[in-house]
Amino acid sequence: MPLTLAIHPITEICFGKRLDLAGKRLVVDAAELSRLILEDGVIEAVDFQIARPGESCRAGPIFDIVEPRAKAPGGSPDWPGIIGPPQTAGSGTTHVLSGAAVTALREESPGDSRGATGYVLEMSGAAATGSRYAALHHLIVIPHTRGDLPIHSRHKAYRSAQLKVAVHLARAAFDKSPERAETFELAAPGDRSGLPRIAYIGQIFSRQRKPEADEQIIYGADTDGLLPTLLHPNEWLDGAVVTSYHTSLGGAETYFYQNHPVILELYRRHRADEINFVGTVATIASANNFDRERNTRFSANLVKWALRADAAVLTKFGGGVPHTDLSETARLLECDGIKTAVQVTDLARDHRVESALLFNFPEVNAIVCVGGNSTNWTLPPVERVIAANSGLAELLAGPFEIESLNVVGVANQQGASRLRSMVY
Amino acid sequence: MRVIHYLNQFFGGLGGEEKAGTPLETRDGAIGPGKLLEQLLGAEARLVMTLICGDNYAVENQESLIAAALEKIRACNADLFVAGPCFLAGRYGVAAGALGSAVQSQIGIPVVTGMARENPGADLYREPLYIIDSGDSAAQMRDVLEKMAHLAVKLMRHEPIGFPAEEGYIARGLIRDQFVEKSAAERLVEMVLAKTRGEPFETEMAPATFQPVPMPAGIKDLRNAKVMLITDGGLVPKGNPDKIQGSAATRWGSYSIKDCDDLKSEDYEISHGGYDPQFVRQDPDRLVPLDVLRELESEGAIGALCDEFISTSGLANPLSNTRRMGREMADKVKRLGIDAVILTST
Repeated sequence: MPLTLAIHPITEICFGKRLDLAGKRLVVDAAELSRLILEDGVIEAVDFQIARPGESCRAGPIFDIVEPRAKAPGGSPDWPGIIGPPQTAGSGTTHVLSGAAVTALREESPGDSRGATGYVLEMSGAAATGSRYAALHHLIVIPHTRGDLPIHSRHKAYRSAQLKVAVHLARAAFDKSPERAETFELAAPGDRSGLPRIAYIGQIFSRQRKPEADEQIIYGADTDGLLPTLLHPNEWLDGAVVTSYHTSLGGAETYFYQNHPVILELYRRHRADEINFVGTVATIASANNFDRERNTRFSANLVKWALRADAAVLTKFGGGVPHTDLSETARLLECDGIKTAVQVTDLARDHRVESALLFNFPEVNAIVCVGGNSTNWTLPPVERVIAANSGLAELLAGPFEIESLNVVGVANQQGASRLRSMVY
Repeated sequence: MRVIHYLNQFFGGLGGEEKAGTPLETRDGAIGPGKLLEQLLGAEARLVMTLICGDNYAVENQESLIAAALEKIRACNADLFVAGPCFLAGRYGVAAGALGSAVQSQIGIPVVTGMARENPGADLYREPLYIIDSGDSAAQMRDVLEKMAHLAVKLMRHEPIGFPAEEGYIARGLIRDQFVEKSAAERLVEMVLAKTRGEPFETEMAPATFQPVPMPAGIKDLRNAKVMLITDGGLVPKGNPDKIQGSAATRWGSYSIKDCDDLKSEDYEISHGGYDPQFVRQDPDRLVPLDVLRELESEGAIGALCDEFISTSGLANPLSNTRRMGREMADKVKRLGIDAVILTST
């Protein structure tokens, strides 16, 4: 199933009377977007702001970041299972407003154990240099939901609003010719014999918390009861998976499922005729050993028997416990002669190697470690703080200390991070 | 720059093993390898004093050696302390490490030493100290001193210190962050490809190995045993009186269950950010099984249940922290004369 991304680079977003893509300039009609969002009746009012690269500007707490994309007629649906029917994602042409983002804010501080600010989007200064998000033009969606709603219903409304806006904006590109187009396709059976067959196993949720019943993560499903499942890489890139309402230790955003760093790198190597990228498995990290024993075997078996891979790369989602599912899956693969490399997050708050990992299998010996525990910044006051209410704006006003793990994008767990743990 | 140098009896020129019992002595200026060290440290450096001590004396009288040496180093107004290099000499390495570590923490001046990786002093002091990897042969003296001097000058100037491979010190087992050119995804795929092709690759993190914990002797007679409950599930009395953190806890608490047969949800809360606590919130006995233990107590299956249970939060906690808390809890358990502990986790 070939997927073609029609790339329209964006170098400016501005407000105007009518949605329009004029060259690389995206004109956004805020009133029209409001109507689109308010029709659900959950969000009572919505504000929009634009954040530009290099601007003295900060936004937070971030709910999620999405790249504006729209499916051209004839292909798979937009965001299947969430705003489109739950049909297979990843075929046809998708128009991409590259360089732009639709970024939704939360109305409350997540107040997690690692900082009340939640994830902060920083557009300038030292912290911004560590995040790819600082180089994007953001249309920030600031929702104001009805006060009587439970938090998960608000989250669902944020998600739906954000995805609808992202699709709507990208439809402005339908009648424009893209700057370039990129097609993604795996090899036909029998092709590429002799090249190493490589698979990807990605955790998309961690059972450290139970998902909300209406939390839409994979084709609109909340992952409850999910067994490891095969996905074509194009499904990730084209809307099958969105991030959870809660992420930790550097996070995962929907933007980096659409632009999945591991999948794109595997495709790059595939096109360079270095590998045969054979497919992916989406899985979750378990909350107990019973589920772990079952799920890790399912993942390993899919890679072994369905994908017949020679090697696999694995990434995790969430906090510390997912290390165990990740490493056990890799161990099972290695025992079957399938080579692995795993990507972990540094858990060592005392900066000691002995505290960095939650596993010790001699076979699992190829480990990429995303850092974060020894990088902090003092965020200075900025000209513009974008937040859903005055209390949150005050919280983010600066100067304040922030861990790199809370600057969105810096310690990202999907493979985008350039912050590395170095042993010395 | 005022430098003080520590040598053992052999490198200090006192003699061999027969002089290993010699107590701490001092000499003005540089002795033996100190002369080359002074040269290598540059024109501004002056090696003002050499401390010399016999290996046996140093190991057998470590505390008094450290006290005496610290006094002399303070009186000298030293800017830098260098010990060794000690190569494979174990007693010398341990003394150099102990002394260097004390100087660094108590006087706060830069310290550099040198040893072979196999030197027991390296194992003990590689984390707090910069120990240049000297190898085992004193024939490498010049090369080792060059590296020690180079690192010392950097430390004096507060310049950033490079990685072990660049500077020549033994890896300290610590982690620091660095922004790198390649994304994690690029490195991940590169690594698996190298592994698949049988090419060399370098893991970015190595799992730690730990000494196995010996199994304690079994309880012979549970009916006369005093039993205690300990949990890392973060169950605390309402209000969290000890302010036990929900993640990377540095504290633990001990809470009375005297005259209580059943933990009531209204009296407790959970301080733990790593699991879904709703079931424990409904009934805290699911985490700290007081109800069942009371039954066993009344049936006589166990001797007695301790009047308190211990709780902390076991999430994302560095080992240095949990080791300390474990020791503190073990002290308390011993003090209370407990025979058996049931640990419940999440």
